[in-house]
Amino acid sequence: MTNFIQHITFIVLILATFMAGSEQAFAQENPIQIPGGSFHSILPEVEGEPIEVEDFYMDELAVTNADFLEFLEQNEEWRRSNIPAIYADSGYLKHWKDDLDPGENVKPYQPVTRISWFAANAYCRWAGGRLPTLNEWEYSAQLMDFDSAEEMNEFANELMGWYSAVDVQNTKTVGSTDIENRHGIKDQFGLIMEWVEDFKPPISNEISLDCGTVGRMQKLGNTYSYAASVRYITRMSFNPKMTTGMVGFRCAYDAGKTKQQAEKSL
Amino acid sequence: MRTFIKTITLLTFLVFSATHYLAHAQTTEYTIDGMTFGMPEAEVYTEDYDGPAVVGETITMLPNLAPLDYEGNKHHDIRMDILAQEIEVADGVRYRAWTFGGTVPGPVIHVKEGDRITFTMQNRSDEIVDISEPGAETSPYLKQISENPFMNPEGSIMPMPHSMDFHAGTVAKDDKWRTIAPGQTIKFDWVANYPGTYIYHCGTPSVLMHTAMGQHGVVVVSPKDGYPTDDQVDREYVVVQSEYYLTKGPGELYQYDFEAAQARNPSHVVFNGHQTVLHDQPLKANAGERVRLHFSNNGPSGTSSFHVIGGIFDRVWLEGHPFNEMRGMQTVLVGASGSATIDMIVPEEGKYILIDHEFADAEKGATGTLKAGPKK
Repeated sequence: MTNFIQHITFIVLILATFMAGSEQAFAQENPIQIPGGSFHSILPEVEGEPIEVEDFYMDELAVTNADFLEFLEQNEEWRRSNIPAIYADSGYLKHWKDDLDPGENVKPYQPVTRISWFAANAYCRWAGGRLPTLNEWEYSAQLMDFDSAEEMNEFANELMGWYSAVDVQNTKTVGSTDIENRHGIKDQFGLIMEWVEDFKPPISNEISLDCGTVGRMQKLGNTYSYAASVRYITRMSFNPKMTTGMVGFRCAYDAGKTKQQAEKSL
Repeated sequence: MRTFIKTITLLTFLVFSATHYLAHAQTTEYTIDGMTFGMPEAEVYTEDYDGPAVVGETITMLPNLAPLDYEGNKHHDIRMDILAQEIEVADGVRYRAWTFGGTVPGPVIHVKEGDRITFTMQNRSDEIVDISEPGAETSPYLKQISENPFMNPEGSIMPMPHSMDFHAGTVAKDDKWRTIAPGQTIKFDWVANYPGTYIYHCGTPSVLMHTAMGQHGVVVVSPKDGYPTDDQVDREYVVVQSEYYLTKGPGELYQYDFEAAQARNPSHVVFNGHQTVLHDQPLKANAGERVRLHFSNNGPSGTSSFHVIGGIFDRVWLEGHPFNEMRGMQTVLVGASGSATIDMIVPEEGKYILIDHEFADAEKGATGTLKAGPKK
């Protein structure tokens, strides 16, 4: 029953988030256009493969501590000392020195972490966008060019190694992983894990994190899809208040909205 | 329009969720053949806790077994938090392990058939927890670790979702064994219905990865009426076999080798979590003594042909159940997650090598020493 109440609270909060928020200019100056297309989800219950994704825009880089500080300066309700307990657990920005002072150990161009899904969502609304959907994020992540299956396998093996040894005490700066998709979206791998809009898909209850989940996700039968299954499974365990040193985010923007704003600026 | 569609979708989801949860009303407790089933629903919550990571009276560090000094059954309160710890598993090989309680394998929990356990576990993988220098009021288990920090554990941060699967417990996995996120705590009851030696491990997918990363340990459930030779046993130890799949990472540390794990090609096969611990700190006995070994193969994937060079097993209780008695065995075949409780009479003063007689695994480290003194 406790779960049920938590579930209802979560849904109400999501609805509230969708209905709130004011829009501003892009936080990142040049979000990158990802042309629509299709990709193979590894979720076993998704029917009618492949999944279609429409054109959208996404930040080149994860949101940094400097970006987030700017957001906090303008939105005091999301500062550490103000944020209501329903929007974040007690770890929210706990590695920062103060509300508006990341401190010397937190570098401006490191990705911001220890922020809840609610805070990430609010940031993207403020930045004129939204969190990428799970399908958009994974579609973009699959737009990687490899010269051979061996090269892809090698990359995926390194990725699995990274998942087993995420070093949140020495997070690199954004743009430094040398990993980018064919459109120039950087660091989707090897830096942090990222919030997406629908991080816990409705079918996650059916998948229910069983031991058999991994096997059912191996449709593509390769290490690349194994690494993807680790992402899906990890996301499914999150709740929207959670804050950890491993999870940050980047924003996405609707294609239509972006064009409209582009015209305005001419 | 987009917001409207989303709202409708979410409301549909809400109704579905309500139906789903109400349909899963908890069963009530009941007994069959003297065993207790139908545990209360697990609680998942957040708490501000910075106390000892391992708490409980009958918990010990390998290879020791905490003695049970009570009559009848007992209700245990046990806490075992999930911690990331950098540890050494062979000479010069360190990696950041995912652990229960800070070591690999995790602590040995000793209970009696019919005991009830209230188990609490916080996922503290997102904070540094130092287990080798506990405070004055820490738990007996952590004192043992601080007095013998063989793996040189060092607190680390590696936030990942995790769970607990006690093979000794008979409960529904989607409630008690559910995955919890970093920062969350889960609390639930289980009853040790069956005697024997049982592994516990993390059940969060990929279970291969989580177990290989170090999340496993042992519960010894002593039979309520004992084994027939209990009054002749002089020493009692726990030996756990497991595999590591490690490869050199970009820095000094090693990390998980996914391909090796899939191919069942371990880099190290070890007893009690370290390639040489049972040689550096041999099990001790004297000639003529009856030594009992609770042997568990925690895998994740290998089998073990457990043998002691120079000894024959006087009694073997497969899985540790007193009804499964065998005698005069040279080797006990134990599959992944299987166990055996073994009595051996130490013949004379000298060295006896514990070994996985699958020699490829022995030469990756699955060996140890029983050092016997003269007959007393």
